[in-house]
Amino acid sequence: MSILRHSARRFVRALHTSNATVNADEIAHFSRLSSQWWDHQGEFSFLHKMNPVRVQFIRDKLLEIAREENDDLDIQPTHVLRDLDVLDVGCGGGLLSESVARLGARTHGVDASESNISIAKVHASADPKLSPPSPFLSYEHTSAESLLTSPKRYDVVCSMEVLEHVDNPASFLSTCATLVKPGGHLFLSTISRTPLAYALTIFLAEDVLRKVSSGTHTYSKFIKPNELIEFFQNYRDPKVRGLIYNPLLARWHLAARDAWGGTDCNYLFWVRKPALESGDGSAAS
Amino acid sequence: MLLLANPRRNAFNCAGVWRKRLSTINNTKINHEDCDIVIVGGGPAGLALAAALGSSPSLRRNLSITLVEGGDLKKAEGWAPIPGSFSNRVSSLTNTSQTFLKSPSIQNCIYHILLTSTTGIGVWGHIDEARTCGIDEMQVWDGISGARIAFSASELNLEKPELGMARLTENFNLQRGLLRRLKDLPEVRLLQQTKVKSIVQDVEEHRQWPLVYLENDRVLRARLLIGADGFNSPVRAYANIPSFGWSYDTQAIVATMTHPPRGAFEGPNTTAYQRFLPTGPIAFLPLSPTASSLVWSTKPQLAAALLACEPPVLASMINAAFRLPELSVRYLHTRILEAQLSGTPITPSEIQQEISWREQSHSIDQHSIYASANAAATIGMPLEGSEAVPPLVTTLQPGTVASFPLRLNHAEAYIGEGLGARTALVGDAAHTVHPLAGQGLNMGLGDVESLARCIENAFLLGGDIGSHTALLPYAQDRYLENHILMATIDKLHKIYSTDLQPIVWARSVGLEVLNELDSLKAAIMLTAGSRTDDAQRTSATAWNVVAKGVETLVAAADASKILAGGLQNLLSSNLQRLLNTEGAPGQQKRV
Repeated sequence: MSILRHSARRFVRALHTSNATVNADEIAHFSRLSSQWWDHQGEFSFLHKMNPVRVQFIRDKLLEIAREENDDLDIQPTHVLRDLDVLDVGCGGGLLSESVARLGARTHGVDASESNISIAKVHASADPKLSPPSPFLSYEHTSAESLLTSPKRYDVVCSMEVLEHVDNPASFLSTCATLVKPGGHLFLSTISRTPLAYALTIFLAEDVLRKVSSGTHTYSKFIKPNELIEFFQNYRDPKVRGLIYNPLLARWHLAARDAWGGTDCNYLFWVRKPALESGDGSAAS
Repeated sequence: MLLLANPRRNAFNCAGVWRKRLSTINNTKINHEDCDIVIVGGGPAGLALAAALGSSPSLRRNLSITLVEGGDLKKAEGWAPIPGSFSNRVSSLTNTSQTFLKSPSIQNCIYHILLTSTTGIGVWGHIDEARTCGIDEMQVWDGISGARIAFSASELNLEKPELGMARLTENFNLQRGLLRRLKDLPEVRLLQQTKVKSIVQDVEEHRQWPLVYLENDRVLRARLLIGADGFNSPVRAYANIPSFGWSYDTQAIVATMTHPPRGAFEGPNTTAYQRFLPTGPIAFLPLSPTASSLVWSTKPQLAAALLACEPPVLASMINAAFRLPELSVRYLHTRILEAQLSGTPITPSEIQQEISWREQSHSIDQHSIYASANAAATIGMPLEGSEAVPPLVTTLQPGTVASFPLRLNHAEAYIGEGLGARTALVGDAAHTVHPLAGQGLNMGLGDVESLARCIENAFLLGGDIGSHTALLPYAQDRYLENHILMATIDKLHKIYSTDLQPIVWARSVGLEVLNELDSLKAAIMLTAGSRTDDAQRTSATAWNVVAKGVETLVAAADASKILAGGLQNLLSSNLQRLLNTEGAPGQQKRV
């Protein structure tokens, strides 16, 4: 018995939780879940494969802007995220947060699920480049709304595959937009409300292939690209890019700009907050 | 500034505790070094991978790259051959491989370098090009029927036909070039004369990263461990990746052959020759006007008997193997084996006598190109059709005769999973192939190019380069392509080396031979790496065409149209059996 307790204590310390009263069983539970979030061939394999494409969208958009603004074509893609403050809302197991942190951004991942945050922390601690006290990556169990009370604002706010899960999308979008510094960027990814999206993400993925747990998605919560664009009508020139899965290559890729039907299922959204605060997204009707 | 918010201060306070904990583990238990990439094996594939990774500015500046080699690389680095002498291990580098080894093209030097592939790793400038030889033409023929095809660089629609179809290069020359290139890349760490003692999984901290224990008690913890460690790959064993294959019951004899230069009216010595004998193919690969390299695949007992004779016997037999009808070559083989068994190996004069006698019985004119003792061949007007056979070998360069067994082996995966995660295989660790199409090293270099590009792409998108997601494009890119190529080469070997009577008969009367040779031609043409531009995708498709050609042969569809009913079944069932028996019975095994 004492041996058990001893090893459990070691285990707890090894997991570097900030809370000394954390239950060893819980930690073990998180570790089990962690291996699922980070099982590249398991339930989250679609997300793992999607991740590089999401990073590419973010990186290339920032690169495009940086080159335009500085009139300098020599800015390298690996440099654009360096030293930016990035907030990842709904970070889950930390797939996007880790990648963005590796590209040099000071990344803060938040998630409403405490277990997700524990999972993300455990996984990051295994990577010598991201493990604490790395200045590049931190996690916090909180909601986006509660961050509003802190004065901290971010150069880039990302919220990937979250919008279709929240109860009040308008309020969520306003919160995200408020957390962006003036002149900063908001990146979202979500699923459009189309028959195609229903067929692929719910009928095929959940019901037929059972690649994704049943009940993961609800059709009525899906949001169309135009609805997002309309929401941010006071912002200049929002952009939408389709995200297409090629089952033959088992790879995601960005749809060509303005490809017909490209944004009918998964898509990425980018908008830039005006440098002078003329509206913070609450302009939504 | 970092610690504004309370929850974060907590996080960092605890991080301090964590750090201490980590360091106690380090001090008391394993004193390991963290490496992003550890390559095991300093052969051509491993060195090329190190050079490719080091040639990417973003990778070499941001990742720690270490290559571990048990042997002494200084020997290859200081390789200084006597002019005119050549090493016996040569490889044919396709144009695709050469492009990869050259310098990055101007186009890539613009800022796009980070977005485009890692084409051009700056090695070619360090290779002594004067010691390499471009191949302009190939002559391939069937040992039994004599059906022949010839093809040249000019008919291959190459972008730069003057470069030839492929370039023969001593392996040492390439290895030395790679090591010289790595001298310019101090960021890439070479640990030579350092054997890997064992590879185990790091069980601390739920990491499951590979720990590489070195002989000198250093321990490297690898984010990504790459096995370029050859056929018996320890990395493959650690990753628990099974491999399948069989030995061919065939031994390859290699040697450097010297011969008189081609005459003034003949072309230069830039034609490669290959004759398919039932015992295996014999190839003549030019290196210089007066030196060429031999790769002779034959039965092990015959190889042993040939190697036991004095070198001039082997030289005479090489000349005979390219010239005499198959029947007589077989007779000479028997003669050598019998002499060997009786304990008195055949002497050079005895074998020359036998050859002359066979020539007389075949009514071969002593002044024709098929005569083996024609000393005057290079003076004055060349003999008619002199380009149909290679120059007469006069001597073998001392110390270059050697032999090794041939086998086919293919790993079931190129990247590790589960407990063997964070591993990838390249080169011979992933695949071993029959040398008849000269593809082994080119396949390895293809792996290297693809893996380096895959790692760079993942890195540029903030990926964990050791993860399955990051490495998957490499496996997708290479596995099927290599597999098709290997299957094609394997089937070609079997079709040509069979002595199953119906098939031999079909070949001897010319049935199917042209079809087969067309497949072979397509196969070897592709070894030219076809065009010098990015021909990778094209070549993959073309290999499919070749594979199809061979499959057609397997079905014996054409033969069946010509042959009468019963015979048709016999032939096709024999062909099927031949191609399904993977090596001799009992030899197929999983390694």
